[in-house]
Amino acid sequence: MVTNITKTVTIYIDDVSYQVPAGANLVDAAKALGNDIPVFCYHPKMSPVGMCRMCLVELGSIEKDRATGEVVLDDKGQPKVRWFPKLQTACTTNVSDGMTVRTNTKQVDQARENVVEFLLTSHPLDCPVCDKGGECPLQNLTMEHGPGKTRMNFADKMHLDKHVPLGDLIFLDEERCIQCARCIRFQDEVAGDDVLAFHERGRSLQIITNSEPGFDSYFSGNTTDICPVGALTTADFRFGARPWELTNVPSICPQCPVGCNTSLSTRLDRDAGGRAIIKRVMPRQNEQVNEIWICDKGRFGHHFSRGADRLQIPMTGNAPASLTRALQVAADKLKAAGSDVAVIAGSSMSNEDLWALKQLANGLGSERLGAWPPTHAGADLVAQVGVGKGTNLSALGKGDAVLIIASDLEEEAPVWRLRINQARKRGAIVVVANARKTQMDEFASETATFEYGEAPKFMADIEASDLGKKLAAANNLIILTGADGLTLVESRALMQSAANFLIKTGHIGKANNGLMSAFPGSNAMGLYYMGFTPEATLDIAQKPPKVLIVAQSDLIADDPSVGEWLTKVETIISLTLFNDALAGLATVALPIQSFAERDGTFVNGERRVQRFYTAQGPIGEATPAWQVAGRIGELLGQGKVKLSAAAVMLDITKSVPAFEGARYKELAHVEPQFPMIQKDVYYGGTAYENTGGLGVQIPTAADQGETLNVGEVFVPETPKVGKGKMLIIPTQVLYNRERTFQSSELMHPRVADPYAEINSADAKRLNINNGDMVEIAIAGASAIRVRAQVDGRAPKGAVILPRHLATNAVPLTATVGSISKVGQAAVVEG
Amino acid sequence: MHILLRGRDISDIYKFDVYTANGGYEGLKKAVSMKPSEVIDLVKASNLRGRGGAGFSAGMKWSFIPQSEPIKYVAVNADESEAGTFKDREILETNPHQLIEGAMICAWAIQATAVYIYLRGEFWDVAHALDERIAEARKAGFVGDNVLGSGWNCNVYTHLGAGAYICGEESALLESLEGKLGQPRVRPPFPAQKGGGLYKEATVVNNVETLTNAPWILVNGPDEYKKIGTEQSSGNKIFCVSGHVNKPGNYELPLGTTFRELLYTHAGGIANGKQIKGILPSGGSGPIMRVNGNDDPILDTKLSYEDMAKAGTILGSASIIVMDETVDMVWVASKAIKFFKHESCGKCTPCREGTFWLDKVVDRILSGKGQESDVDLINNIAKNMSGVTLCALGDFAANPIIHTIKNFPEDFKAHVEKKEVAAEKAAPAKAAPAPRRGKEAAAQAGD
Amino acid sequence: MSIHDEKYAKRIEATFAKYPDKRSAVMPLLYIAQEEYGWVSPEGIEEVAQYCDMDPTQVKSIAGFYTMYSEQPKGKYWLQVCNDLPCALRGADEFHKQLKEYLNVEEGGTTADGMFTVEHVMCLAACDKAPMLQCNFHFVENLDMEKMKAQIEQWRAEAKAEKK
Ligand SMILES: Cc1cc2nc3c(=O)[nH]c(=O)nc-3n(C[C@H](O)[C@H](O)[C@H](O)COP(=O)(O)O)c2cc1C
Ligand code: SF4
Ligand code: FES
Repeated sequence: MVTNITKTVTIYIDDVSYQVPAGANLVDAAKALGNDIPVFCYHPKMSPVGMCRMCLVELGSIEKDRATGEVVLDDKGQPKVRWFPKLQTACTTNVSDGMTVRTNTKQVDQARENVVEFLLTSHPLDCPVCDKGGECPLQNLTMEHGPGKTRMNFADKMHLDKHVPLGDLIFLDEERCIQCARCIRFQDEVAGDDVLAFHERGRSLQIITNSEPGFDSYFSGNTTDICPVGALTTADFRFGARPWELTNVPSICPQCPVGCNTSLSTRLDRDAGGRAIIKRVMPRQNEQVNEIWICDKGRFGHHFSRGADRLQIPMTGNAPASLTRALQVAADKLKAAGSDVAVIAGSSMSNEDLWALKQLANGLGSERLGAWPPTHAGADLVAQVGVGKGTNLSALGKGDAVLIIASDLEEEAPVWRLRINQARKRGAIVVVANARKTQMDEFASETATFEYGEAPKFMADIEASDLGKKLAAANNLIILTGADGLTLVESRALMQSAANFLIKTGHIGKANNGLMSAFPGSNAMGLYYMGFTPEATLDIAQKPPKVLIVAQSDLIADDPSVGEWLTKVETIISLTLFNDALAGLATVALPIQSFAERDGTFVNGERRVQRFYTAQGPIGEATPAWQVAGRIGELLGQGKVKLSAAAVMLDITKSVPAFEGARYKELAHVEPQFPMIQKDVYYGGTAYENTGGLGVQIPTAADQGETLNVGEVFVPETPKVGKGKMLIIPTQVLYNRERTFQSSELMHPRVADPYAEINSADAKRLNINNGDMVEIAIAGASAIRVRAQVDGRAPKGAVILPRHLATNAVPLTATVGSISKVGQAAVVEG
Repeated sequence: MHILLRGRDISDIYKFDVYTANGGYEGLKKAVSMKPSEVIDLVKASNLRGRGGAGFSAGMKWSFIPQSEPIKYVAVNADESEAGTFKDREILETNPHQLIEGAMICAWAIQATAVYIYLRGEFWDVAHALDERIAEARKAGFVGDNVLGSGWNCNVYTHLGAGAYICGEESALLESLEGKLGQPRVRPPFPAQKGGGLYKEATVVNNVETLTNAPWILVNGPDEYKKIGTEQSSGNKIFCVSGHVNKPGNYELPLGTTFRELLYTHAGGIANGKQIKGILPSGGSGPIMRVNGNDDPILDTKLSYEDMAKAGTILGSASIIVMDETVDMVWVASKAIKFFKHESCGKCTPCREGTFWLDKVVDRILSGKGQESDVDLINNIAKNMSGVTLCALGDFAANPIIHTIKNFPEDFKAHVEKKEVAAEKAAPAKAAPAPRRGKEAAAQAGD
Repeated sequence: MSIHDEKYAKRIEATFAKYPDKRSAVMPLLYIAQEEYGWVSPEGIEEVAQYCDMDPTQVKSIAGFYTMYSEQPKGKYWLQVCNDLPCALRGADEFHKQLKEYLNVEEGGTTADGMFTVEHVMCLAACDKAPMLQCNFHFVENLDMEKMKAQIEQWRAEAKAEKK
């Protein structure tokens, strides 16, 4: 909640007067004044329901003379208070002028004690074996307000199922549940996926889900955080460790451009040879980025960091080598190549890594820096007209608008989807425009469609349409693009047109306005600021260099067409997390550290530079990529390698103007946030306070009033699809078989079998039935076999082909191909 | 004279023709000839008070509806589930058109866009018959489009509940009508306010009996109505008499009639020549009255809102359950708490946990295994539940415990001292378990 | 089997016409599902959810809250005896007990032939006509065991005739 504090009112709490924002929730207002009114069901992120009755207070209002509006005084000259005859729930009360509250009377104390006692009548009191033990609001509030001893016969207690799987991920302990409905409300109000509910009634009330398969929301893990008892636990962490044994390290989720702030709970683990390993991932509060939420991919996807497929030792020519030797071989190869060198770097590398790689290449005289995967263009435009400094999606509401175009945001950047859905609920117009139907349509206030290939044109022409006028007239407008169904050229055209529209309608250079894009990975913007572009990648493919450094990019799994040109590269130097196919091809393969093993920074899609910290012990001989690059540089006489990531960043801040003010110390700066979660009763330590820093947002060119250069828009022709051919549209799905997700075994059942969606009319024409095994043939790539999913979501003439589900690589961007039932030749018409 | 139970005077008045032949729908015609605000003033002047339990002025409630809102609703509360209440059912079965007419008068007064009659699910047959009555009224132009040529459209619909006492609570009723769990809402906003009613629109919720008074008031005027009853309690009231009387049933009498007249003149006196021991005057939920035999002057208490309050209890919905000397009041408390435990919606802590806990301990006492401290314990638990719940069900559930302990301490004493108790005859030593479904059954399979 | 069956089309259409919001139709439709399947079966829940545009979880939640929806199959005659306080004061507990003995069923149980389910319920607003029960939602009042036995025989005969 962001309150635009315009008006304040006077309220009296325990006889002291305070000025508080008009209309604020009483629990929140009191909390801000240091008075913790205890709550169980209330949660500042959700609408109050007044169920648990823990927040009862004495409530009254100062009497005012109707005619004069003056305060009525009693015999003692004190303002006269009209008290409610009964205690009132603070959580359902909004402050108003003259409100009088007592929170410390005998009656209030008694009521609190009673509620705790009532809750404990059914509670199993199994704290010593409970995952929430030590960070449990019920435990804390029992200490503070509880009755001290029980009057309930233990034998009379309910005995209920303690291990109810709500799905594969979340378990319910029915005995511990206190029926606060936080989880139900979270799913309904916040996640927008109301798959939890109460069943039966009275004391038999229980949480259920009837969805198929089980509780399967992308945000399900958050319910375990906000559960004020240990009733909901994740399959990942259940019985994994006791909260007090854990060390919490601030981190940033490496999975997508949202850049959710996380807290990695680590513990020295016997199974890991006594090293610190990640036991769980928790959200860390950053109200401007992820509030207190993360998606399940971020929460459960951390296992790759110590996956069995991590490359542990350097290799040269496919044989193990010492690091010194491997670095030397790399340096020699580079030296021999002169400036005929290029780098392709992945979109989840840290800024420090990218900077060091750039220094290395530049030192050799090469400017060929490619970004991987080369799917989304226009990061330069985000740097110019991206969302203004201070943007907070939570501030969007009535009168504002968001256009989501060519993106299945739910799959590409789930927490943005969650937050934009909240904005819609607050009254913002959310328009989802795409060539195919996606589940995003459910979260839209209106939808728009265009044909594949027409997205740039749609955007370019939007101004004249009613929709365009509506968007133009919005108080605040954010355009969020994706590359769903676009080629890289189209992607650039779309971004340019979006930028032009924003500039024309004045929605730039201020908070809550501007351009965002669902880029791949966690640091696509960092790639841009460090000089890596997708266009350079295409150029590298066109003119392969003698030596190619491939850093944290799974070229072979990502793109079937690399085979064509990669063979032309003489020497591949691979800096890699994994012992993957490319490592096998490489002359030198150097193991690098993941985000969990070292310090670094990412720039998220809103251009916030955010810092992550070393959480777990090193894996084998893996080294930070910036160090690898630096040491090769050192061998090539480029100067001494930096001693720390912080030192690399210091270098960056001096050389890259955008990073001015992004030194580690500045990135670690924290400020009080609302809601306040420190040591408090709302969360009882289950959402993590941000101690690692809120990050620093890079201003856009528009923010700084610089001249903008969108460039001439080249709207490409819609590709001609020949007879008997179909458009092949690769798409992104959240749960897939990428290496950075594959080690999370828990998630395996959640990853779909490879499939392709086609329209029922096409299916009929091609004699394909739902569930048939089909073969998709694309020029220059081996055939892809998947199951056909015949439905109404794919537009006619298009095959929707999710990436990273099949073992075969799927094209990076939209292309033309054909589809046929396995064992049946393609039907060619005409 | 029957204003409400006219089916007792004219047996087939449920038929449309018979109803209209006997002055039916004249009240609505009169109302439609008046300004809505005039109708509200008239009903206000009659001092008609809500018959659903709380006794709130009907006219006043109607006047709270913001006139400027384009959409407004009337929700008729026909959930009638309080133990011992069966008056609305008789109205619905024998004089349905008068309810429809009354609801339409209310609808006109607030310029409602639709009327929903929420019937408890068990009124399955009643509801289906009522649908036909509504269709007749619609055909005749009293309901539906352009009512009586006034240009005003208002349809009447029935909606069946499905077995939940709590849906009689007005905000739970609205939730249920919206297809949600029948759990009470946080108030404010109240139903009469924008945001608090049905589909968030301003809504009047009135009991069946309340609205059935309206046609008579329109036709005969508020002054005539006020002539009936007492100073603060105007009009007739249907008293539902059940339990140990010779002639249980509904009796429509002026408010202010005494218990003695009701029970002896009308309900045939106490059955089997026994002495009366206690009365629950408002079903299971109101404070129980101690009656020391048939000559107790307390039976001269007038059945009016104000006199009942003076006597330390409430009139409520006037469901009068009579218990004779053979009845063990601990058993009564147990029956009552089992009811509320079964009907607690579970939304708020003190009611959900309190009813569960009370039932356990009362059962213990009833089975002879209780101690004196158990009586103090339940008294204390019940008091801790009072006044702190989201809706009044929590208070209702506490009442039978608090007031039976207060008024019949000797019955509790007898149990904890394991003396011979009257209950052995009147009630099973161990009360029957509450119905068990699904998980509850599994959870309690042990007891 | 399905509530999509033509025979329900009119009723379902009329139901949706009553309310400005689809969700309000969930209770009436659950009755239809119960009629079709004999109980609120998983298929029924799924179908109602589709009609009302609700998550099946929310439909199941409704079915679980209200006691007149049965989430388990019941006997052909579902006998719900009121033994709440007013009825109990007029012998309903004893009647309930005898009925169970007569049919040889436990509380909530169904006779071996699948004909009768007996359970007790809270006040049904027929306190002056106790003992009474509700059979498949229709009230049978002013009972005693003699009358009840005759009624049971009648139901058995009806069921037999139906079979033929
Ligand atoms: C738990 C509970 C159950 C109630 N049950 C009923 C009921 O069955 N019928 C009814 O008319 N009012 C019932 N009420 C009262 C209603 O909330 C509401 O006050 C009433 O319908 C208003 O109508 P009236 O003003 O005409 O009495 C109940 C209240 C509570 C708290
Ligand atoms: S008092 Fe009982 S019935 Fe009322 S809201 Fe609370 S739990 Fe539900
Ligand atoms: S009732 Fe206010 S916090 Fe639960």
